Amino acid sequence: MKRKPLFLILCVMLLIAPTLLAAAQDQTVVRISWWGSQNRHDRTIAAIELYEELNPAIDIVYEFQGWGDHWTKLSTQAAGGELPDIMQHDYARLEEWVANGLLLPLDSYIEDGTIDTTYIADSSLAGGMVAGQMYGINLGNNSEVFTLDTDAFAAAGLELPPLDWTWTQFEDIANQIQSELDIHGIGVLTSDQLWKSYYMGCCDQWAYAPDGRSLGYEDDQPLIDYYDMLLRLQESGGMQSYEDNIARGDQGVEAQLIVSQEAAMAYHWSNQIVAVWNAAGPERNFVMYPIPRPEGGQSQNYIKPSQFFSITSQADNPDEAAAFIDWFTNSVEANQILEAERGVPVSSVVRDSLMPNLGPAQAEMFSYLGIIEMDNSSIRPADPAAHADVVSSIFVPEFVEPVMYGMISPAEAAPYLREEANRILAAQ
Amino acid sequence: MASATLTKAKRSQRSNFGQDNLVGYLFIGPWLAAFFLFTLIPITVSLALSFTDYNILSNSGDFIGLDNFQRMFFEDRRYARSVNATLNYVVFAVPLKLVFALGVAMLLNTGRRGVSVYRAAFYAPSIVGGSIAVAVMWREIFGNDGLVNFTLGLLGIEGPNWLGRPETAIWTLIILAAWQFGSPMLIFLAGLKNIPRHLYESAEIDGANALQRFLRITLPMLTPIIFFNLIMQLISGFMVFTQAFIVTQGRPLDTTLFYALYVYRRAFELNEMGYASAMAWVMLMVIALLTALVFRSSSYWVHYESDEGPA
Repeated sequence: MKRKPLFLILCVMLLIAPTLLAAAQDQTVVRISWWGSQNRHDRTIAAIELYEELNPAIDIVYEFQGWGDHWTKLSTQAAGGELPDIMQHDYARLEEWVANGLLLPLDSYIEDGTIDTTYIADSSLAGGMVAGQMYGINLGNNSEVFTLDTDAFAAAGLELPPLDWTWTQFEDIANQIQSELDIHGIGVLTSDQLWKSYYMGCCDQWAYAPDGRSLGYEDDQPLIDYYDMLLRLQESGGMQSYEDNIARGDQGVEAQLIVSQEAAMAYHWSNQIVAVWNAAGPERNFVMYPIPRPEGGQSQNYIKPSQFFSITSQADNPDEAAAFIDWFTNSVEANQILEAERGVPVSSVVRDSLMPNLGPAQAEMFSYLGIIEMDNSSIRPADPAAHADVVSSIFVPEFVEPVMYGMISPAEAAPYLREEANRILAAQ
Repeated sequence: MASATLTKAKRSQRSNFGQDNLVGYLFIGPWLAAFFLFTLIPITVSLALSFTDYNILSNSGDFIGLDNFQRMFFEDRRYARSVNATLNYVVFAVPLKLVFALGVAMLLNTGRRGVSVYRAAFYAPSIVGGSIAVAVMWREIFGNDGLVNFTLGLLGIEGPNWLGRPETAIWTLIILAAWQFGSPMLIFLAGLKNIPRHLYESAEIDGANALQRFLRITLPMLTPIIFFNLIMQLISGFMVFTQAFIVTQGRPLDTTLFYALYVYRRAFELNEMGYASAMAWVMLMVIALLTALVFRSSSYWVHYESDEGPA
């Protein structure tokens, strides 16, 4: 019986020891949270460890998760007043979070040089501005991409298409890959991102109106044509079937069919080529292409900040957080670890220092962004706050799924999508 | 004997009333504190929230009367589908699980050597039951190149895309539920052991065969246990979440979008806490009502041996 108090005291000490130790060393804790793939987690943690080594007074406590869980977790933390100091943010959601007073403007840190933007082009910074103030530091430039497996193309006896390839050419290629190699041309192409940008190519429009209160296109026909094409491709096997995609579940970028050589093409964000190539293996050969366009149409690509680091209004140590963001953005050492996995770095000094030693994935991404810079559509306003609701309540369950399962034709489903999406957008 | 103990207990209860109660409350104090803090208060708050448009991010929470309920019953097509999916699940999963549990319990209700090893082995799936690991494993088993289709392939049958087809996806979850029969099985087993042996012996002497013994002795004697298991499984059936969250994510075509999953989606993915609270309360009412109905029906089919005095 006498041992019990001792045991209890030991337990309590074990529990509070980390706090005590931290206090004894007088460390400042900076909490940070991001979303991403395994590749990103590994790189970011390595960079954080280097920063802690260089700054013994700082203890960085990190959390990471996939895209969906990130927002679930962070919005719950926001409600509880428990947001970390730094959170990774997205162009589509920045406005909503600023409107709800959850982020800190960074302008004063930029003015006093805590966050050095000397080597960052204004165009790269613009995406992080809301109502004239800076709320997010761009971590890399990004664009959507169709990645082609050149070895598979060679094996199928196919020439690489021109950079301004059309959807018709794409459909032919996907079908030829299917018939020559008996693999899919590409994974499913039903993401809401492609819906949002599809109207750029044909009509210089965007899924949402500039004020975000309604859809931004009047004619359903281009959308109907696009989904008719997807249905043809699904039928022929040129595209993975929607059913198969669901059966596999959402397993992240690294599980794309192109990685396992079950498809010869893939659609993703340009920065994800680092994770894709890493998962596929260094012996593979990929080349990055813009999104196909309609006959006589224009580019459907635009350059977007891949993600931001933002400081939350609930941060305990915003000054230390700003210093970390500066290091993450401007330090050559940090970026040699990160290796442009979050997109092409915005600092020209960092870019130049990375150039000589780029890996094949990074080199391809840099040159791809160069191509897109020459020919693109301009970036559209951030998504309206109701975007998540439109996608999860209407776009996927009432349009994509019934259409891809053949329960309703695209021509029948498109007007309903418009009607319901407009209702949600008007009500927000 | 029994009545003597009872009077004695009553007397001592009266004399030490205050002191005993204080000690009692002290002992359950931690539980009470946690119950108020983490259960009762949140439940009360959620009732209040169900009449508001509270959104986690924008944090407004204005009183909107019955709008949430109006939206749920008349406007939200996915709500109707989630109710449909949940009913589909409960109607098949609960009876299947009970039948399975009873069957295995009867197999294990023998005096043979090594039977306790089997009991532990059959209970194991329920311990790991609601876990992420099992759900992930289920994905693999029913995946395109999974165990099920591989086995069917050996028999020359090309298996369907279990998780991808709207007709089959929910069945993978129903089978998962049936496989996790451990806890009702244990309760059935205890019930079976309580059935007096002499009933079977006299039935055998009277020439009753195995089926007759099962229908005339085992089932009636087990009805209190069946009743208990039915209530427990009904309640947990309506609250099914983890399996759908991990294995199917509500897809395809919302055929596995169970009620609790949809509540979660609304609350934590779309931040609509007010609407989600209203949905949760409707669920609570429905479960309470069904439980009450089952209780009401029990006087018609549940047979209590003790009613007839000592055997």
